[in-house]
Amino acid sequence: MSQQQPQSAPEGPAEIPAEPAERSREAGSGVRIEARGLTRRFGPHVAVDALDLDIERGTAFGLLGANGAGKTTFIRMLTGILLPSAGTVSVDGISPALDPAAVRARLGFAPETSCLYPELRVRGFLHFAAGARGLSGAEAETAVEASLERFHLEEVTKRPIGQLSKGFQQRVSLAQAFLHEPPLVIVDEPTSGLDPLQQEEVKQVLADRRGRCTLILCTHDLGDARELTDEVGVLHAGRLVAHGPTPEILDRPEPLRLFRGEEDPA
Amino acid sequence: MTRLRALVRKEVIVLFGSPMAWIALTLVALVTALIFYDHLRIYNQILFLYATSTMGGFESDTVPDYINLRDTVFFPVMETLGITLLGIIPLVTMRVFAEERARGTDELLLTTRLSPGAIVVAKFAVAYAFVTLAMVVSFVYPAMAVSRGGVGVQHLLSVFVGLLLHALAVASIGLVCSAFTKSQLIAAIAGFAAGFVLWDFSWAGPFVGERLFAVLDAISIHPRYGAFSEGVVRVSHLVYFAGLACVAAALARLSFDWRRVAG
Repeated sequence: MSQQQPQSAPEGPAEIPAEPAERSREAGSGVRIEARGLTRRFGPHVAVDALDLDIERGTAFGLLGANGAGKTTFIRMLTGILLPSAGTVSVDGISPALDPAAVRARLGFAPETSCLYPELRVRGFLHFAAGARGLSGAEAETAVEASLERFHLEEVTKRPIGQLSKGFQQRVSLAQAFLHEPPLVIVDEPTSGLDPLQQEEVKQVLADRRGRCTLILCTHDLGDARELTDEVGVLHAGRLVAHGPTPEILDRPEPLRLFRGEEDPA
Repeated sequence: MTRLRALVRKEVIVLFGSPMAWIALTLVALVTALIFYDHLRIYNQILFLYATSTMGGFESDTVPDYINLRDTVFFPVMETLGITLLGIIPLVTMRVFAEERARGTDELLLTTRLSPGAIVVAKFAVAYAFVTLAMVVSFVYPAMAVSRGGVGVQHLLSVFVGLLLHALAVASIGLVCSAFTKSQLIAAIAGFAAGFVLWDFSWAGPFVGERLFAVLDAISIHPRYGAFSEGVVRVSHLVYFAGLACVAAALARLSFDWRRVAG
């Protein structure tokens, strides 16, 4: 398993030349992500295939692709949950394979709503999330209260997560991810299974946080990507088949062809 | 320490939020009561038989010495309880790691600042605390034997320590099984099987060579548990149980690295 240091020369799929994303980004906020030749195999199956990718600080990045395209595997390698078979990925120059603790100190992760603890009450869960991020005492209390307010969870603080609607559960998931104001936040399928009103609420929450950190949005919903991201990368069969500013990629006549790997944007 | 405390607190809430913990506690109390009652009933019947057949009554020295509360009730209860725990404890430990993996919450844990080592320590600590609570509940009836059965307090303490260490050993085995699968059913079955296999290898004596039998005897639980039941506390036995817990924790920690590699 190769664990080389990140290379500086970007060498990825053909990027569409375009103006920088219109969305303003706070200078210095977020982290820089760099993947070089990142590969992950499961037996003969190649889940991520020689991925080269750069995500700049403060970018809201949409990771798109059909089911099985390699999005989750990429995220698992980025968070240090999974080791690459070859190549490297780094967060501000830190390899999650070699120093996962340092990467996780910079990370907030919002899994799908099913990946929460249904037995825990909302406030208790957020206190647990704060403690797990090393916040304690008044610091944790302040972070939890701010999070409850920011994500409009005040009315459900004492309810078990399992009894909440999917919309509220998604807000809880996002609240714990942003609780400690991390420079990197990864959000998995934020609007999946939500009704249109709940989708709007969640999108509003994410739009508010945009530009304040590096945000990676894993989704196969083009609408979400269009509204919430500055740049997108499209994965197909583990390969990055398109990467560029969101409008350039998604406003083409048939963007779904990228999902099927039928079009090379270069 | 903050992170570990937060995780322990979460584990306790999740454990007691699950009906399985309450079912297991009730089962332990119920089964212990039944086992104790059954042995006491047999003891009373034996006494009655002696009393009636000799017409001498209970005070006529006709009841042999070996028919007493300690040997007829207390020891058999502990023996049966030891085997019963092999079946009950995996019902509690099966969910500890496997449920996190099945739900996907393990990835949530692993993306916080909690290290895999801290996760293992917290989960083992909470499981051990629960098992200790169950053992305290289960020990109420045997403890009654102290006052009338001629079992001294020191002997009783030795038996309790033995029972507790045995239960913790079974829990350790169950936790390792839970750490390597996302299926609670597989974790429970593997926990039962491994516990029963490790319980006693004395049956293997006639079939294997002396050296192999010595090894099997050295890793089996029953000889140590039995020694505690007789009131014998040896450092080597304490080391055995501590070693078993350490090996189990190390294997559970290894399961995290294994998943990083295997996916």
